[in-house]
Amino acid sequence: MVSLYAEKMLNIISNDSLEEKLVCMFKKYGVNAYTIVQARGAGSSGDVSYMSGFDANIVVKVILPESKMQVILESIERKIKKGYHLTVYITDIEVITPEKFEKIAR
Amino acid sequence: MSLSSLLLPAVLFFALGVIARLIKSDLRFPPDLAKVLSIYLLMAIGLHGGYELAKADIVVAFQSIIWALVLGFTLPIIGYLALVATRKVNPLDAAAISAHYGSVSAGTFLTAIAYLDNLSIQYETYPLIMLAVMESPAIVVGLILAAKARHSIAVRNGTNKTAVENSEEQGSFKEMLRDAFTNGSVVILIGSMIIGAVAAPSGMEKLKPFIDDIFMGVLCLFLFDMGMVAARRIGDFKKVGVLLAAFGVVMPLIGGIIGVYVGANMLDFSVGGATLVGVLGASASYIAVPPAMRLAIPEANPSFYLTLSLGITFPFNVIIGIPLYHSIAQAIVS
Repeated sequence: MVSLYAEKMLNIISNDSLEEKLVCMFKKYGVNAYTIVQARGAGSSGDVSYMSGFDANIVVKVILPESKMQVILESIERKIKKGYHLTVYITDIEVITPEKFEKIAR
Repeated sequence: MSLSSLLLPAVLFFALGVIARLIKSDLRFPPDLAKVLSIYLLMAIGLHGGYELAKADIVVAFQSIIWALVLGFTLPIIGYLALVATRKVNPLDAAAISAHYGSVSAGTFLTAIAYLDNLSIQYETYPLIMLAVMESPAIVVGLILAAKARHSIAVRNGTNKTAVENSEEQGSFKEMLRDAFTNGSVVILIGSMIIGAVAAPSGMEKLKPFIDDIFMGVLCLFLFDMGMVAARRIGDFKKVGVLLAAFGVVMPLIGGIIGVYVGANMLDFSVGGATLVGVLGASASYIAVPPAMRLAIPEANPSFYLTLSLGITFPFNVIIGIPLYHSIAQAIVS
């Protein structure tokens, strides 16, 4: 049977214009692996349809060790206080290659 | 303003897009279609304009750039003062909205070209340089207005920023400036104009089917799609309120009149050229400025500026504004 290891996944829903800013933040804290998917929906800043490619949303997903999670959350909190519309949630996940995520966050 | 001027295929397709959305048709375009089409349109108009500009008068071209900068820096300030005077939006929302009105909409400009071509009205190609120049200054003005508004709010609330916050802000201000002058539309337009100006005429002749023959068809498709996008925003009309919605109509009229005046009297353009400068003054950006404002003024409500520029000003200019600025240009030039 394959062994499973507990990890935390940070999910950020944001407008796609903030992608570069978020990626810079990850790199600043030594996180070089993340996944970005396009998304649409509605929220406090209105309807984001991704219609015609203007004004699209993204979901950024990154698996982080506890040691990196707090410092990145603090940076995100500063951005939210500045007015950036970011929806952030953390999910418990299980992975089969834990060494992979420790390495990227080092 | 005759009815026939509104019966342009491009304008009719825009109306079809709006209707398709209003009747809740299941019609959907691929998500990136408008982006792809706008790249083509900017490239084609840039190549065409660059080819013509190579034969143009350098002094008039230089004067056009200067007046484009004057318009780009002045219009957002007029918009900002008007918005603040309404007391319906806070200064940060006013800064973000006014940046949209100082910048330009290539879609509106191209529709105006289709309108003039349809009426066989000649126009100068200098407004094309102005289109490229006017994309960015308003973003800079928006950033400055927002910085001033933030400073006033901080002073009023008695809050001081930390050194880290100040240095982060200065860093992002530099990034914003760089982004404002290197945004995709500016690169495509200026790059294509240079290619059009330096390319061998025989090579340009081979591009004619790409630049000229399919241009109006692509513009129809673009406006069809944009009609659907605009109609989505019309539903947000209630959110912005009557006074702000009125700004979406009054501001283009102010910008349009100023633009026509500059085109006709300062640059000595013909009726066609003055109409195009009027359209530049009247139009509001919906491609380059919204992402810049999301980054630079995150406190501002995107529903306001997107609804105003896409849902109110863009349809107003395409359907009513362009023929109106043409009539004003006729009156001023004659």
